[in-house]
Amino acid sequence: MMNYLWAGMLIIGAVFAAANGNLSSFSDGLMASCGEAVNFMIGLAGIMAVWSGIMEIASKSGLIGKLAEFAAPFMRFLFPKERDKDTIAFILMSFTANIFGAGNSATVFSLKAMERMDAQNKHSTLASNTMCMFTAVSMSMIQLVPVTILKIRTDLGSPNPGIIIIPSILAGLISMAVSIAVCKFYEWKEPHL
Amino acid sequence: MRNAQMSSLLNEISSLFIPIIIIGVIVYGIYKKAPVYDYFTAGAKDGLKTCVEMIPFIIAIFIGIEAITSSGAMEFFQKLIGPFMELIGLPRELTSIILLRPVSGSGSIVLAERLMRTYGTDSLVGTSASVMVGSCETVFYVLALYYGVTSVKKLRHALPAGVIGYIAGVLASVYLSYIMLIS
Repeated sequence: MMNYLWAGMLIIGAVFAAANGNLSSFSDGLMASCGEAVNFMIGLAGIMAVWSGIMEIASKSGLIGKLAEFAAPFMRFLFPKERDKDTIAFILMSFTANIFGAGNSATVFSLKAMERMDAQNKHSTLASNTMCMFTAVSMSMIQLVPVTILKIRTDLGSPNPGIIIIPSILAGLISMAVSIAVCKFYEWKEPHL
Repeated sequence: MRNAQMSSLLNEISSLFIPIIIIGVIVYGIYKKAPVYDYFTAGAKDGLKTCVEMIPFIIAIFIGIEAITSSGAMEFFQKLIGPFMELIGLPRELTSIILLRPVSGSGSIVLAERLMRTYGTDSLVGTSASVMVGSCETVFYVLALYYGVTSVKKLRHALPAGVIGYIAGVLASVYLSYIMLIS
């Protein structure tokens, strides 16, 4: 699926660029985005190293085991098949970092969690139920303070920049409930995966 | 005023998150007499390895998204979808951001800024755009990134869960903004 999706994006892009006569800005954009991708990863590398190091301490010193036990009831509802404590810890940290608006840290935790789930899934080409639930929840995870948008609203002279916080959290929760329901429905249909 | 105070308090809590975790973990490690420095460096090495392994996938995702956004394909889909939006009570002005948000986080923030500049920060369009950026995730980007580092080729219900959740989030954003503005 990724093969077709990715090829489709590039082909559709090229066709539209040709039709709109902006092939030159299209090729500039493509080349620039390769550099951006590498810069993005380099920017992430330091954070990745720090959090992997901190998590290693937490794992080996037994803190993760305690944390995982504490969050077990909640995690067992979302991820009934997940038993690995370190994976659960990465999932938890990813959610928490998201809530507190630490976007890059959240990305790092999520990628580590995905890597571990992939290994447990025996590098199958089919996504496991745990993976689907994890991405569904993290895609709709709420953020306590949407910092960027608050700053833009303040800069544009909004009389009440913070008015959007509560609706944002509510909309996020609604979206999360819907995503979880969709996942649970598919899990019920295909519980073995 | 209450809102402003609350948002600064929440801001305060958010900025404490990283320091508290790091200090907490290290103090716990020391208390358990663990060689924290050795563990940290071993983990960091592992993290960097992961990072390098991910670069090819990230490049693929970035150029795929760029191809869609910079070619003008996005504008075409906007014109196509605009009329349907009004049918379900969404302002047509929000079409561009609703389509761009799932693929590009930074792009949708620029767009939200432009919408607020044009229609006013506290208009229905401006408020909905703010709430959307604050609550709806970059679904396709996240899917591509997260599954990009795995061997998964078939996403199964990860895609419908993300897309349906996203649509629910968009509808909730607009309707909640509407309710808030008339109250």
